[in-house]
Amino acid sequence: MNEGSSTAPASASSSTYMLVPILLLFLLLIIAVLRSPNLISPAGIGSAVIVLTPLALATYALMALAIAGRGTVDLSIGPLMGFINVTLVVLSGMGALESPVAFFLYAIAVGVAYQLLMALIIVYVRVQPIIVALSGYLALSGINLVILPRPGGTAPEWMSSWGLGTTLDSPILVILVLSTAAWLVFTSTAFYGHLRLMGSDERAAYTSGVRITIVRLGAHCIAGVFAALAALTYTALIGSGDPTQGTTYTLISVTALVLGGTSLAGGRGGVIGSLLGAVNLFLIGYVLATFSFGAVQGFVTDLAYGLILVLSLLLTVAIPWLQRRITNISPTIIFIVMSILFAGVILHAKFDYGRPAPPVVASDASAPDAAATAAIAVDAAQTIAEAQPFAASALGAASPTVGPDAIAATGFFFEETGASDEASSMLARPIALSLLLAIALLIVARAMVLQTRQRRFSPRMVYILISLLVLAAYLAWDNSHMPPSLAVTPVSPPVPAAPASTEATVPVEAPVGAPAGAASQPDATPPAKEGT
Amino acid sequence: MSAVPNTLYTRLSALQWVGLILAILIAGLGFILGIVQKVVLQELIFYTAATFALVIWTWNAYVAPHAKFGAEDSGDGPSGFALARAFAYRHRVLIVALLVILGIFLIASATVTGFFNWLNIVTFLVLCALLVFTVQVSQLFVDNRSAFIGLMVLITMFTVGSIFIEGFSSGQNIKSMLLFAAFLGLACVGQTLVALLGGLDLSIPFVIGASNVFLLYLIGLGMYSWIAIVIVLLLGALIGWLNGILSYRLQGQALILTLGIGFAVSGLTQIVTSIGSAFAGNVFGVVPNWLKNLAAMNGTTFGLSIPPVILIWAVVAIVLVYGMKNTVYGRYLYALGGNRTSAARLSISERRYWVIAYMVSGTVAALTGVLLLGWSGGGFIGVGQPYLFMTLAAVVMGGTSLLGGQGGYGFTVIGVLVLQVLTSFLVGMGLKFEWQQFIFGLLILPMVALYARSPHIRTQI
Repeated sequence: MNEGSSTAPASASSSTYMLVPILLLFLLLIIAVLRSPNLISPAGIGSAVIVLTPLALATYALMALAIAGRGTVDLSIGPLMGFINVTLVVLSGMGALESPVAFFLYAIAVGVAYQLLMALIIVYVRVQPIIVALSGYLALSGINLVILPRPGGTAPEWMSSWGLGTTLDSPILVILVLSTAAWLVFTSTAFYGHLRLMGSDERAAYTSGVRITIVRLGAHCIAGVFAALAALTYTALIGSGDPTQGTTYTLISVTALVLGGTSLAGGRGGVIGSLLGAVNLFLIGYVLATFSFGAVQGFVTDLAYGLILVLSLLLTVAIPWLQRRITNISPTIIFIVMSILFAGVILHAKFDYGRPAPPVVASDASAPDAAATAAIAVDAAQTIAEAQPFAASALGAASPTVGPDAIAATGFFFEETGASDEASSMLARPIALSLLLAIALLIVARAMVLQTRQRRFSPRMVYILISLLVLAAYLAWDNSHMPPSLAVTPVSPPVPAAPASTEATVPVEAPVGAPAGAASQPDATPPAKEGT
Repeated sequence: MSAVPNTLYTRLSALQWVGLILAILIAGLGFILGIVQKVVLQELIFYTAATFALVIWTWNAYVAPHAKFGAEDSGDGPSGFALARAFAYRHRVLIVALLVILGIFLIASATVTGFFNWLNIVTFLVLCALLVFTVQVSQLFVDNRSAFIGLMVLITMFTVGSIFIEGFSSGQNIKSMLLFAAFLGLACVGQTLVALLGGLDLSIPFVIGASNVFLLYLIGLGMYSWIAIVIVLLLGALIGWLNGILSYRLQGQALILTLGIGFAVSGLTQIVTSIGSAFAGNVFGVVPNWLKNLAAMNGTTFGLSIPPVILIWAVVAIVLVYGMKNTVYGRYLYALGGNRTSAARLSISERRYWVIAYMVSGTVAALTGVLLLGWSGGGFIGVGQPYLFMTLAAVVMGGTSLLGGQGGYGFTVIGVLVLQVLTSFLVGMGLKFEWQQFIFGLLILPMVALYARSPHIRTQI
């Protein structure tokens, strides 16, 4: 996930909480890549971005409110998204909202207006936020069904190409990156400091002169904007209006919020964690879709969501214990080390198993087996979409795009049978590349261990990271038979997001993207599905 | 009036005259309208007299204490304007509410043809009277104000429903309302106990659905139904225990944790029941007759034509309401919810009570699922879904604080009844489910705002 890398160094207080989502992320990524190598390709990442952006933005909205304290969990986020989605579709169907500008303005106005109303009730009527959210949940999910009794309608024409997810450079990615960047910029303002102070101790904030009313209103405004963007990207994803997704998005985004290490008690939370949480949730669905559980697929998804939610919550109990023992390991280092591992896994998946099996070996049972497995996976993904109103919506929405990917799944390494001699010479280049990567990243890791306590990098680090980035860009650019736009894109998203101050993990993803680009080089073995 | 000293009488008399004229006007208006609509004369006289008396009483009930208040405050005798302003300030909530109702009534009369009729005017007056009564009397309550307000809302809903909907107050309808209220009420038992400790249990709907399906699965395997029910109840307790143990250290996040457990339980149950079945997600079996009788609309209890589940609910409610006030467990639960530190000084084990509350919650949720199986006759995992937020809404509407320590099951019973009567009313009015949900959502807020407002931050420092 290239966009996951547009990160700033996590601040010291929340850093340890990021360990769990990071480890989970790479665990899931490795399984996902082994099961379905096509995830790491422009199309795979593109469709993943399309599917997870609404979830990520909804999680951002929840995060902004959770930081504000008083136990604010906005259960009405799903119905609010549904409300904006439904009214957008109905209004554009009547010809009222034609231009994209009006579209965006309307959505943001509705989101902010709703959140402001909620904030005013919380501040002046002084009712617990959870009750206001509950009330809004019921009212909005009721009115959504009144406006649009059943899923239907179409998004405007200019939006129709947004939800395809065939390439990386979609407007949705831009929205996601811009929202993430906007929050990161926001964290350096005084307002953010006030927000965190109010969230962790409202009385202290009040006595020290913070105007908590304004701060709370502001937090809700931000949440409203995020919610509106989530609704817009959701509209682009499904391309129509759907009044019934409220419960699902509420529950999933709350899960993502908790997975991302945000404290529901207030004062702690971040956009990177929330993004990681959303990506993790997406990957859980993705990985589960590649296994074929037949008719019980949806139930397994429920079980997995529930267990992971509970486990990640329990892990936050263990964090203080962990914090006492692990003092010199930062999440950034974990991220980098895991990235190396993951890069190796991608290379493994792409070059060892991604090839089409030679005709002679094809008689072996594994190939048809894998194809059958994949077909079942596609089936199952669709079953979930229809049968399971709960928890599986991200997955269900993903199924049209994930399906083709899953066909590429060739199973775990132990199922692999197609190794042959001619491949070994072709493997030389990727192996050399991975060695180079490993060495380079080890140097990075070593350097970073030395300066765990610092928030900025030394010049040496900057040089190493920049050279890695250049190397990755070169490898990706080298693809002669790929269209230039595709060859660049695996690397390009982090580049605009990487500020000159060289934030921690930005370039690290680049090597991850690089093998993906390099994979389809003519001299390397062409992976199976790129050709077909 | 007798409470007012004689010295004030001379000053009041002018106001009394105004009240008298107002009452004559309103009563006369009603009388004329009644004649126009050809109401039976006896009824008309009765209603006119009642309206007249009501207006007079309301007027005096307000003017008398207020005039006294005004006289004490401003030594040199209040002017009429200051009097009116002070009056308006003291009763601003009531005046705003009355104006809102009047406004809605006038707008509806002006826009909807045929709205301005005898029935609606009576309803309007009844609403106003009940509102005045509620606000006025509720000021006398210190502790149980929410219960009183809930009760008045219940009476109002019921009165309005009986006026508008034919057969609303018939025995059959009341029975069906009580039947559904019993299911909701049982589902709320655990939520109330947990809320008294400051926690939340969102696994209730999932446990209801899971026990519903799993019981039918066990019966379908050929197990004796009572053994199956005992097993299901034990499993419910086990889930509750798990909830309690796991959320003890994460009390602020009990909401999310129980939700996760609920997901897992629901998924696991369906996986277990789907093993070896060609129809995943569907469970087949025959519900025994005695279980059907327990929860069906036409069930009988010892020959009486009351569904036993209503009696079960009544017994549970009485035991809980009595037990919470008079047993050690109940008292300590309140002590813990009110103040953890002082409860700990009394060496009350927080963990023990927290876990027990969640265990009760899981068990009763499983029981609700069992009874719902008897009602519907077929297993369905989503049977608990409406209870996801309804239990929360009922607890909150009743007046149990989600922060713990305040409220009780008696309050929740009132909340459940209000929700149920409201549902029946909206259904009777021909509103669809989505409109019902919308109105629920809008009603929860003012209900809670009436009595569960938290203090301003500057009073907490």
